[in-house]
Amino acid sequence: MVKLNFNDIKEGDQIPSLTKEPITQIQLVKYAGASGDFNPIHTIPEYAKEAGLDGTIAHGMIVMGMLGQMISNWVGVKPVKEFSVSFKAITRPGDILTAKGEVKRKIENADGKSIAIKVQIEDQKGEVKVGGKAVIKID
Amino acid sequence: MLDSNAVGKEYEPFTFEVDRCKIKELCLAIGDNNPLFFDKNFAKKEGYKDTPVSLTFATLMNFWGYPEIWTKMKEIGIDAKKLLHAGEEYEYFEPIYPGDIIKGFVTVESLRSSDTMDIATFKTTFSRDGKTVLIAHMKIVVILGA
Repeated sequence: MVKLNFNDIKEGDQIPSLTKEPITQIQLVKYAGASGDFNPIHTIPEYAKEAGLDGTIAHGMIVMGMLGQMISNWVGVKPVKEFSVSFKAITRPGDILTAKGEVKRKIENADGKSIAIKVQIEDQKGEVKVGGKAVIKID
Repeated sequence: MLDSNAVGKEYEPFTFEVDRCKIKELCLAIGDNNPLFFDKNFAKKEGYKDTPVSLTFATLMNFWGYPEIWTKMKEIGIDAKKLLHAGEEYEYFEPIYPGDIIKGFVTVESLRSSDTMDIATFKTTFSRDGKTVLIAHMKIVVILGA
Protein backbone atom coordinates (compact mmCIF):
# COMPACT_ATOMS: atom_id res chain seq x y z
CA MET A 1 0.00 0.00 0.00
CA VAL A 2 1.24 3.46 -0.84
CA LYS A 3 0.69 6.86 0.66
CA LEU A 4 -0.30 9.09 -2.25
CA ASN A 5 1.22 12.47 -2.83
CA PHE A 6 -1.25 14.82 -4.52
CA ASN A 7 1.41 16.72 -6.44
CA ASP A 8 2.88 13.57 -7.96
CA ILE A 9 -0.44 12.34 -9.33
CA LYS A 10 -1.51 13.16 -12.88
CA GLU A 11 -4.85 12.65 -14.58
CA GLY A 12 -4.54 9.54 -16.73
CA ASP A 13 -2.15 7.77 -14.34
CA GLN A 14 -2.81 4.02 -14.24
CA ILE A 15 -3.23 2.35 -10.89
CA PRO A 16 -1.60 -1.07 -10.37
CA SER A 17 -3.79 -3.67 -12.10
CA LEU A 18 -4.76 -7.01 -10.60
CA THR A 19 -5.24 -10.29 -12.50
CA LYS A 20 -7.14 -12.93 -10.59
CA GLU A 21 -7.00 -16.72 -10.68
CA PRO A 22 -9.82 -18.27 -12.78
CA ILE A 23 -13.18 -18.12 -10.97
CA THR A 24 -14.11 -21.56 -9.62
CA GLN A 25 -17.44 -23.07 -8.61
CA ILE A 26 -16.16 -23.75 -5.08
CA GLN A 27 -15.21 -20.06 -4.82
CA LEU A 28 -18.84 -19.12 -5.52
CA VAL A 29 -19.97 -21.55 -2.81
CA LYS A 30 -17.52 -19.87 -0.41
CA TYR A 31 -18.73 -16.43 -1.45
CA ALA A 32 -22.37 -17.45 -0.90
CA GLY A 33 -21.53 -18.49 2.65
CA ALA A 34 -19.39 -15.44 3.33
CA SER A 35 -21.83 -12.87 1.96
CA GLY A 36 -25.11 -14.56 2.86
CA ASP A 37 -26.38 -14.36 -0.73
CA PHE A 38 -27.65 -17.89 -1.24
CA ASN A 39 -29.40 -17.42 -4.57
CA PRO A 40 -28.90 -20.94 -6.06
CA ILE A 41 -28.28 -19.43 -9.49
CA HIS A 42 -24.68 -18.97 -8.25
CA THR A 43 -24.13 -22.40 -6.76
CA ILE A 44 -26.42 -25.07 -8.25
CA PRO A 45 -25.91 -25.77 -11.99
CA GLU A 46 -29.32 -27.50 -12.41
CA TYR A 47 -31.13 -24.50 -10.94
CA ALA A 48 -29.19 -22.10 -13.17
CA LYS A 49 -30.15 -24.19 -16.23
CA GLU A 50 -33.81 -24.11 -15.24
CA ALA A 51 -33.47 -20.34 -15.10
CA GLY A 52 -32.36 -20.39 -18.73
CA LEU A 53 -28.59 -20.06 -18.25
CA ASP A 54 -25.82 -22.38 -19.47
CA GLY A 55 -24.68 -22.89 -15.90
CA THR A 56 -23.99 -21.02 -12.69
CA ILE A 57 -22.97 -17.37 -12.77
CA ALA A 58 -20.80 -15.44 -10.32
CA HIS A 59 -22.30 -13.09 -7.76
CA GLY A 60 -21.92 -9.52 -9.05
CA MET A 61 -20.63 -8.60 -5.62
CA ILE A 62 -17.66 -11.00 -5.74
CA VAL A 63 -16.54 -9.19 -8.89
CA MET A 64 -17.01 -5.80 -7.18
CA GLY A 65 -15.01 -7.31 -4.30
CA MET A 66 -12.11 -7.98 -6.69
CA LEU A 67 -12.20 -4.36 -7.86
CA GLY A 68 -12.20 -3.38 -4.20
CA GLN A 69 -9.17 -5.62 -3.68
CA MET A 70 -7.28 -3.72 -6.37
CA ILE A 71 -8.15 -0.41 -4.71
CA SER A 72 -7.23 -1.51 -1.18
CA ASN A 73 -4.02 -3.17 -2.41
CA TRP A 74 -3.11 0.28 -3.65
CA VAL A 75 -4.20 2.62 -0.84
CA GLY A 76 -5.81 0.56 1.95
CA VAL A 77 -9.39 1.36 2.96
CA LYS A 78 -9.17 4.50 5.10
CA PRO A 79 -8.65 7.01 2.26
CA VAL A 80 -11.48 5.53 0.16
CA LYS A 81 -14.55 7.78 0.53
CA GLU A 82 -16.77 6.52 -2.28
CA PHE A 83 -16.87 3.39 -4.39
CA SER A 84 -19.68 2.65 -6.83
CA VAL A 85 -20.20 0.24 -9.70
CA SER A 86 -22.61 -0.85 -12.40
CA PHE A 87 -22.86 -4.52 -13.28
CA LYS A 88 -22.55 -4.89 -17.05
CA ALA A 89 -22.06 -8.53 -17.99
CA ILE A 90 -22.29 -12.02 -16.50
CA THR A 91 -19.18 -13.72 -15.09
CA ARG A 92 -18.92 -17.51 -15.17
CA PRO A 93 -16.67 -20.11 -13.56
CA GLY A 94 -13.44 -20.32 -15.59
CA ASP A 95 -13.37 -16.60 -16.39
CA ILE A 96 -10.06 -14.89 -15.68
CA LEU A 97 -10.66 -11.34 -14.51
CA THR A 98 -8.32 -8.38 -14.60
CA ALA A 99 -9.08 -5.23 -12.61
CA LYS A 100 -7.77 -1.91 -13.90
CA GLY A 101 -8.10 1.73 -13.02
CA GLU A 102 -6.93 5.21 -13.86
CA VAL A 103 -6.99 8.65 -12.34
CA LYS A 104 -9.77 10.69 -13.96
CA ARG A 105 -9.71 13.88 -11.97
CA LYS A 106 -7.79 15.67 -9.23
CA ILE A 107 -10.09 17.50 -6.84
CA GLU A 108 -9.14 20.32 -4.51
CA ASN A 109 -11.88 22.06 -2.54
CA ALA A 110 -13.02 23.03 0.99
CA ASP A 111 -13.02 19.35 2.00
CA GLY A 112 -9.36 18.99 1.04
CA LYS A 113 -7.65 17.06 -1.69
CA SER A 114 -8.86 13.92 -3.38
CA ILE A 115 -8.76 12.04 -6.65
CA ALA A 116 -11.57 10.43 -8.64
CA ILE A 117 -10.57 7.17 -10.26
CA LYS A 118 -12.32 5.13 -12.92
CA VAL A 119 -12.20 1.38 -12.40
CA GLN A 120 -13.26 -1.62 -14.42
CA ILE A 121 -12.81 -5.35 -14.50
CA GLU A 122 -12.75 -7.42 -17.67
CA ASP A 123 -12.39 -11.06 -18.63
CA GLN A 124 -9.81 -12.87 -20.78
CA LYS A 125 -11.67 -11.71 -23.93
CA GLY A 126 -11.72 -8.08 -22.88
CA GLU A 127 -15.44 -8.03 -22.03
CA VAL A 128 -16.10 -5.50 -19.27
CA LYS A 129 -17.99 -7.17 -16.40
CA VAL A 130 -18.19 -4.34 -13.91
CA GLY A 131 -17.35 -0.65 -14.27
CA GLY A 132 -17.34 2.10 -11.72
CA LYS A 133 -15.55 4.81 -9.89
CA ALA A 134 -14.02 5.63 -6.55
CA VAL A 135 -13.02 8.76 -4.69
CA ILE A 136 -9.81 8.66 -2.67
CA LYS A 137 -8.91 11.33 -0.16
CA ILE A 138 -5.33 12.48 0.08
CA ASP A 139 -4.03 14.07 3.28
CA MET B 1 -45.98 -3.83 -10.72
CA LEU B 2 -44.21 -2.06 -7.92
CA ASP B 3 -46.08 -0.47 -5.05
CA SER B 4 -45.03 3.14 -5.56
CA ASN B 5 -46.41 4.06 -2.12
CA ALA B 6 -43.48 2.16 -0.62
CA VAL B 7 -40.95 4.86 -1.60
CA GLY B 8 -39.46 6.26 1.58
CA LYS B 9 -40.54 3.27 3.64
CA GLU B 10 -38.23 2.57 6.58
CA TYR B 11 -37.81 -0.99 7.83
CA GLU B 12 -37.08 -1.94 11.43
CA PRO B 13 -33.39 -1.36 12.21
CA PHE B 14 -31.12 -4.40 12.58
CA THR B 15 -27.97 -4.94 14.62
CA PHE B 16 -24.81 -6.61 13.34
CA GLU B 17 -21.76 -7.41 15.44
CA VAL B 18 -18.60 -7.40 13.32
CA ASP B 19 -16.75 -10.67 13.65
CA ARG B 20 -13.03 -11.01 12.85
CA CYS B 21 -13.71 -14.38 11.29
CA LYS B 22 -16.35 -12.91 8.95
CA ILE B 23 -13.86 -10.28 7.73
CA LYS B 24 -11.42 -13.07 6.83
CA GLU B 25 -14.11 -15.25 5.30
CA LEU B 26 -15.16 -12.56 2.84
CA CYS B 27 -11.54 -11.88 1.84
CA LEU B 28 -10.80 -15.59 1.38
CA ALA B 29 -13.82 -16.00 -0.91
CA ILE B 30 -12.75 -13.03 -3.02
CA GLY B 31 -9.13 -14.25 -2.99
CA ASP B 32 -7.94 -11.07 -1.29
CA ASN B 33 -4.81 -11.83 0.74
CA ASN B 34 -3.98 -8.28 1.84
CA PRO B 35 -2.56 -8.60 5.40
CA LEU B 36 -4.43 -5.40 6.29
CA PHE B 37 -7.52 -7.59 6.76
CA PHE B 38 -5.81 -10.50 8.56
CA ASP B 39 -2.89 -9.22 10.61
CA LYS B 40 -3.62 -6.83 13.48
CA ASN B 41 0.02 -5.79 13.88
CA PHE B 42 0.32 -5.03 10.19
CA ALA B 43 -2.92 -3.00 10.29
CA LYS B 44 -1.66 -1.02 13.29
CA LYS B 45 1.58 -0.18 11.49
CA GLU B 46 -0.55 1.13 8.63
CA GLY B 47 -2.38 3.47 11.01
CA TYR B 48 -5.51 1.40 11.71
CA LYS B 49 -6.88 0.54 15.17
CA ASP B 50 -7.30 -3.12 14.18
CA THR B 51 -7.92 -5.07 10.94
CA PRO B 52 -10.65 -3.07 9.20
CA VAL B 53 -13.44 -4.59 7.12
CA SER B 54 -12.83 -4.68 3.37
CA LEU B 55 -14.56 -2.33 0.93
CA THR B 56 -17.53 -4.56 0.07
CA PHE B 57 -18.24 -5.81 3.61
CA ALA B 58 -21.54 -3.89 3.73
CA THR B 59 -23.17 -6.49 1.48
CA LEU B 60 -22.41 -9.12 4.12
CA MET B 61 -23.89 -6.99 6.92
CA ASN B 62 -27.02 -6.51 4.81
CA PHE B 63 -27.59 -10.16 3.93
CA TRP B 64 -26.58 -11.66 7.29
CA GLY B 65 -27.96 -8.81 9.38
CA TYR B 66 -31.24 -8.37 7.53
CA PRO B 67 -32.21 -11.49 5.54
CA GLU B 68 -35.82 -10.24 5.81
CA ILE B 69 -34.99 -7.99 2.84
CA TRP B 70 -36.06 -10.79 0.45
CA THR B 71 -39.56 -10.90 1.97
CA LYS B 72 -39.73 -7.11 2.03
CA MET B 73 -38.89 -6.99 -1.68
CA LYS B 74 -41.71 -9.38 -2.41
CA GLU B 75 -44.13 -7.25 -0.39
CA ILE B 76 -43.51 -4.24 -2.62
CA GLY B 77 -43.90 -6.24 -5.81
CA ILE B 78 -40.34 -7.27 -6.67
CA ASP B 79 -40.03 -10.70 -8.24
CA ALA B 80 -36.93 -11.91 -6.38
CA LYS B 81 -36.54 -14.87 -8.73
CA LYS B 82 -35.98 -12.62 -11.73
CA LEU B 83 -34.01 -9.82 -10.15
CA LEU B 84 -30.64 -8.69 -11.38
CA HIS B 85 -28.18 -6.64 -9.39
CA ALA B 86 -27.69 -3.49 -11.47
CA GLY B 87 -25.46 -1.39 -9.27
CA GLU B 88 -23.96 -0.88 -5.84
CA GLU B 89 -22.72 2.34 -4.30
CA TYR B 90 -20.87 3.00 -1.04
CA GLU B 91 -20.06 6.15 0.88
CA TYR B 92 -17.50 5.57 3.62
CA PHE B 93 -17.22 7.79 6.70
CA GLU B 94 -15.26 5.76 9.27
CA PRO B 95 -13.44 2.41 9.12
CA ILE B 96 -15.34 -0.51 10.69
CA TYR B 97 -13.47 -2.89 13.02
CA PRO B 98 -13.91 -6.31 14.68
CA GLY B 99 -16.20 -6.09 17.70
CA ASP B 100 -18.08 -3.04 16.42
CA ILE B 101 -21.80 -3.14 17.03
CA ILE B 102 -23.30 -1.74 13.85
CA LYS B 103 -26.92 -0.70 13.43
CA GLY B 104 -28.42 -0.87 9.94
CA PHE B 105 -31.38 1.18 8.76
CA VAL B 106 -32.86 0.05 5.45
CA THR B 107 -35.15 2.31 3.41
CA VAL B 108 -36.75 2.10 0.00
CA GLU B 109 -34.97 4.90 -1.82
CA SER B 110 -36.64 4.78 -5.23
CA LEU B 111 -38.98 2.67 -7.32
CA ARG B 112 -39.56 2.97 -11.04
CA SER B 113 -41.70 0.85 -13.32
CA SER B 114 -41.94 0.80 -17.08
CA ASP B 115 -43.48 -1.63 -19.55
CA THR B 116 -40.27 -3.59 -19.74
CA MET B 117 -38.68 -3.36 -16.32
CA ASP B 118 -38.94 -2.54 -12.63
CA ILE B 119 -36.05 -0.70 -11.01
CA ALA B 120 -35.66 -0.36 -7.24
CA THR B 121 -33.01 1.19 -5.03
CA PHE B 122 -32.58 0.36 -1.36
CA LYS B 123 -30.47 2.50 0.92
CA THR B 124 -28.86 1.19 4.09
CA THR B 125 -27.35 3.58 6.60
CA PHE B 126 -24.92 1.87 8.98
CA SER B 127 -24.15 3.55 12.28
CA ARG B 128 -21.95 2.92 15.32
CA ASP B 129 -22.74 4.66 18.62
CA GLY B 130 -25.26 6.82 16.78
CA LYS B 131 -22.75 8.04 14.21
CA THR B 132 -23.02 7.12 10.51
CA VAL B 133 -20.04 5.05 9.38
CA LEU B 134 -21.18 3.84 5.96
CA ILE B 135 -24.05 4.31 3.52
CA ALA B 136 -24.87 1.69 0.87
CA HIS B 137 -27.23 1.97 -2.09
CA MET B 138 -28.27 -1.22 -3.85
CA LYS B 139 -29.95 -0.97 -7.24
CA ILE B 140 -31.83 -3.93 -8.62
CA VAL B 141 -33.68 -4.51 -11.88
CA VAL B 142 -36.40 -6.97 -12.79
CA ILE B 143 -36.92 -7.55 -16.52
CA LEU B 144 -40.64 -7.96 -17.08
CA GLY B 145 -42.31 -10.48 -19.34
CA ALA B 146 -39.13 -12.55 -19.50
